[in-house]
Amino acid sequence: MAKKKIIGIILLTALVLAGIPGTAANARNTEDHHYTYDFWGEVLKSIPAFELAYTIDGSKMDIPVSGMDDVATGGGRIFLIDTQESRLHVFDDTYSYVTSVKLLRGEDKKIVLDENGGQVALKNPEGVWFHESQNEIYVADTGAERIVVLDGDGYFLKRIITRPDNMVGVTQFRPSKITVDGTNKIYFTVQSGFEGIVELNQSGTFSRYFGVNKPVVDLWDYFWKRMSSDEQKSKMSKTYAPAFNNLAIDGDGFVYATTVDTAAKEQVFRLNPKGENVLRNKGYFPVMGDLLIQNLFVDIAINDYGVYALLDQEKGRIFLYDFDGNLINIFGKSGDLRGDFKAPSAIAWFGDKLVATDKNLRCAYVYQMTEFGEAALGAAKNYYFGEWEESARLSKEALRLNANYDLAYIGIGKYYLMQDDFKNAMYYFRLGNEKEFYSQAYNGSRSLWIQENFALILAALLVLSGLLVYSEIRYNKKKG
Amino acid sequence: MRTWKKDFKYLFYTLFHPFDGFFEIKFRGKGNMTLATALLVLYGLLSIFTTQYTGFIFNHFPVHSMRSIQLFMLAIVPILLFIVSNWSTTSLMNGSGTIKDIWIMTCYSLVPLILFDLMTTLLSNIIILEEAPILTAFRYIGVVWFCYLIFCGLCTIHEYTAGRNILTLFVTLAAAIIIIFLVILYFTLMDTVISFVETISTEISKRW
Repeated sequence: MAKKKIIGIILLTALVLAGIPGTAANARNTEDHHYTYDFWGEVLKSIPAFELAYTIDGSKMDIPVSGMDDVATGGGRIFLIDTQESRLHVFDDTYSYVTSVKLLRGEDKKIVLDENGGQVALKNPEGVWFHESQNEIYVADTGAERIVVLDGDGYFLKRIITRPDNMVGVTQFRPSKITVDGTNKIYFTVQSGFEGIVELNQSGTFSRYFGVNKPVVDLWDYFWKRMSSDEQKSKMSKTYAPAFNNLAIDGDGFVYATTVDTAAKEQVFRLNPKGENVLRNKGYFPVMGDLLIQNLFVDIAINDYGVYALLDQEKGRIFLYDFDGNLINIFGKSGDLRGDFKAPSAIAWFGDKLVATDKNLRCAYVYQMTEFGEAALGAAKNYYFGEWEESARLSKEALRLNANYDLAYIGIGKYYLMQDDFKNAMYYFRLGNEKEFYSQAYNGSRSLWIQENFALILAALLVLSGLLVYSEIRYNKKKG
Repeated sequence: MRTWKKDFKYLFYTLFHPFDGFFEIKFRGKGNMTLATALLVLYGLLSIFTTQYTGFIFNHFPVHSMRSIQLFMLAIVPILLFIVSNWSTTSLMNGSGTIKDIWIMTCYSLVPLILFDLMTTLLSNIIILEEAPILTAFRYIGVVWFCYLIFCGLCTIHEYTAGRNILTLFVTLAAAIIIIFLVILYFTLMDTVISFVETISTEISKRW
């Protein structure tokens, strides 16, 4: 009787504990159904790499929150943008509220006044970026057509960048999403700006338009445009290049960008300094999210080992890809349950965690890695930094948790290939359906085979040529 | 047994001398109907073999969900369709070939395809990705040879000039499309009829 009671109490505490956020760091506790795609595009069951750890919303602030439209992280803080209330909220790494910025203050804590004596405040900002090396916060103050630079610690105004005099083109200076690279160059997107991403120099002067976003060529349109006269053409609606809607930057200074325009040829971009898309597409399928439906990627976040997360508005999903473009995991969904999305708006890495915001639900979800996520992403990380052995060990761990994680087979195969263990490498590449690396491993094993059996092959060739010569001689003798 | 060996030898003579070969087959009866049919079946079987045994590097087919009968039919039906539509057009366009001639000619022409497909399938197991052009080359040799044999064969057995042969080939294509259309129409209609009868019989059985 007493024993039963004790067991009962233990079970009860376990149940209560499981309900507290932050304790459930194991995918076994989530009941989410997730999926992945195999080599043939068939849908397989999978477990999530991330799970909801905490929800940041307006409940702990005395300030009204009307939406969350962009998120940036850095210096152990999370910066959230509320476009409608024109506010920048700051949270620390325990997700507690630090401060909120609307009126801009100088270093002396006094509110900055403009030339007419009015208070300078944010006006419908859409984007934010934390620039680690200079300890600066860049706010894309869209409504006021300017970029506001705040100090990273004191949140006071450092400088304001307005439309530079040397800016060319028809794009308005209405920065929407913003990022800054290691050389302090500023990149920002403009909603429906078809000329590309705007690049500014450190001083705030205009540098260039950046990035090529090709529209899909409609054969029928092309035909009519060829047939019609110049006068007719002038009356036709023009096809503009699709606009980039969001961007981010990786450690090597490559700008990643997304577009939600369905007329665009590609949805995800990794732009080289020339502005061309050099995204690696070495996975089973190109980086495209779901295979059969068109996803709308509203934001992208890259971490320091090249794993990037794509936030999809269509189904409320987050797609994780590694540096090579292999699909690691799919998680999240739109719906009405806790942790579901209504209108996802932005995503950012927060150390090993992910922060994703929702415009309609006015909250930011903080995701932490599950046990599987730790193994899978750990393998990707160690592979990226050249720690093959650790990568293989974590791949094996990931496989133990999720046998449908094909990428792990490839990871293990690559390790064996590195060790010149061709037999094992071939075995794992075959399981992972990796033809290119299998071919390399097979090439190695074939060369070994030829080396070992060289005498045999030579003998066979000699016998064959001998027979050929003999038959020729006999044939010629017969003929006389 | 003697004739089989002879026919077999004659088949290989035809591969290298299509005009003479098909002429002899048509007018001197040197073709072997059973051998031709066997070749057709072999071609169908080979398509299954190719799917299953192409080396891992070059095999993009989901072997775990392979259906042999479907593959067999997919290989054979286009050839049967070609034979029937060619026969039905050439008999209207002064072609002198009978369906037996067309059958034997088409099936004999499959031999290069069979040989080169077999070769590529076996070779694909000992080849790496960088050597893929070899496979492609082999496959193309087979296809080109096959097309050459078909073209020469049609010219010979129908006693056509090259230009008229090309014209008939276009008409054959049109005929094939019409046949496919009729077949689909037939099956759709039959489906409707059968489901109609089924519904009525269910209705009757439920009432009484």
